[in-house]
Amino acid sequence: MEVDRVDGRTPNQLRPLTCSCNVLNRAHGSARWSQGDTILLAAVYGPKAGTRKNGNPEKASIEVIWKPKTGQIGKEEKEYEMILERTLQSICLLTVNPNTTTSIILQVVNDDGAVSFLENYVMFKMTYLTKKVQLLPSAINAASAALLDAGIPLKHLAVAISCGLEESGSVLLDPTKLEEQKMKAFAYLVFPNSVASILPEASLQVEGELLEHGMITSVTHGVMLVDSYLHCLERGRSASAKMSDFLRRSLQSRVPNDLPKTG
Amino acid sequence: MVADSKSAFIDQTVVPGDVVLDLSSMSNHTIKLGQGLRQDGDVISVMKAGKLRFSKPNKYWVESSNKRYVPCVEDTVLGIVVDQKADNFLVDIKGPTLAFLPVLAFEGGSRRNKPKFEVKLNRVFAFLKMGVSSSFTNKQGLECHRTENMVKSAGISSEKVLLLLFSECRFFPFSELNIIYFPSQVGKLLYVRVVKANADMNPELSCTDVNGKAAEFGPLKDGYMFESSTGLSRMLLSSPTCPVLEALGKKLSFEIAIGLNGRVWVNAEAPSTVILVSNAIMTSESLTGVQQRIMVEKLMQRVQ
Repeated sequence: MEVDRVDGRTPNQLRPLTCSCNVLNRAHGSARWSQGDTILLAAVYGPKAGTRKNGNPEKASIEVIWKPKTGQIGKEEKEYEMILERTLQSICLLTVNPNTTTSIILQVVNDDGAVSFLENYVMFKMTYLTKKVQLLPSAINAASAALLDAGIPLKHLAVAISCGLEESGSVLLDPTKLEEQKMKAFAYLVFPNSVASILPEASLQVEGELLEHGMITSVTHGVMLVDSYLHCLERGRSASAKMSDFLRRSLQSRVPNDLPKTG
Repeated sequence: MVADSKSAFIDQTVVPGDVVLDLSSMSNHTIKLGQGLRQDGDVISVMKAGKLRFSKPNKYWVESSNKRYVPCVEDTVLGIVVDQKADNFLVDIKGPTLAFLPVLAFEGGSRRNKPKFEVKLNRVFAFLKMGVSSSFTNKQGLECHRTENMVKSAGISSEKVLLLLFSECRFFPFSELNIIYFPSQVGKLLYVRVVKANADMNPELSCTDVNGKAAEFGPLKDGYMFESSTGLSRMLLSSPTCPVLEALGKKLSFEIAIGLNGRVWVNAEAPSTVILVSNAIMTSESLTGVQQRIMVEKLMQRVQ
């Protein structure tokens, strides 16, 4: 079932991705990530001495601060912070720098709400209860690019993708805000990045399953069948491989390649 | 045998999670892992993004340039004294934790001649403006009660002084407490050597070399310090001499101390020389050797 998307994409096509690192002078690591019109800026400070209150001194602690584009900080922002904190805690190696705190600050630069005022008003009437959750996948991608830039020890990277389920039952990858509002259900999935390994695929196993088939986080909204969810997972996983490649390539272009070798 | 077991990713960019070595096929070898690699069961995987490097016979590490520093033994770094305890100075070296510098770790150090690195903490100017009210128009009615406090680490804290003043102003109606806060430079800049660096403890430093001599370590007077990345420091310290330093050294005379933690200190007779050298070094980070020489030549032409 071929669905016509507003911006002309195929159901499996992602929005154009850009990633620039080291954009902030004072932050220890920073990244600006954009997917289509959704732009997020992530800054990492740390590791700094001292753990947070009631933190485990044998592990590093991660602190996330979410800054919305407009408005005050409320429960929504706290929820994003909590989801991000748990996701990033699972990718960071917490035992390498015990008793330290790493702070990650996310600033929403643009929210993919590029509609005219009138449309905005009409939308507002219908959707005042809808959360701005479509920022979450971009936020996770921005945060993991910033952690990479800061040199925080990581087990692997986190790659996030959003999948939406339409009324007709077809799955769309990376929906824009408009598309998302018309959907029956959607899921935000975070996968580990695809690793380059010298081992043959079969031996990279964790408890009998390939490491790449793991999943870090899944946030779902709406009602969907189990089969549709598994379908989303499949599509999401293949798209995450493309995003991992993108991250790897953007990293390669940054590393200068003719510095003298220091012994 | 050794050639077969080298990683296929040497000199390539690696990303966290990449598996670079499989230990199950090398049972009799010893491998030394440097920065950025960890052992995960039977494989060696990458923790940080960067280029994988190999040095004979068996050292692997990931080379990356960051703004923060990971303390390693026998590194020479530039630290700033933050505080003084009974036995140690607390020194900031841009790492995850503060480092300890024992008070005796100086040449000829003993309990009697302890070095003094004064730590000037923040200055607080606070004053009570009394008798300020919109209904008062007389010009003589304003009294200024001004308190100047330079806080020493052993003295009363600035918060207590402020509390005192605040409690005072409650007794005077129509008074304002104005607080002006001047953060000032903290502590001395030291050129030190890292003696101990374990993950779980604060690193330990020393101002002497291995034999106990001072050998250029210690406080750095005058000059100018700037911070950049660890990659720039490594490039400046590489041998043969880094092109930018060579080119600058041919025309100018200056003194320089490079810390592997990303801090660089420059001193020269004229401030203009210091500015020139610092700017040239900061710009040279992203340039190749040839570009660095051209940049320095152009700078010299403009100055002379």
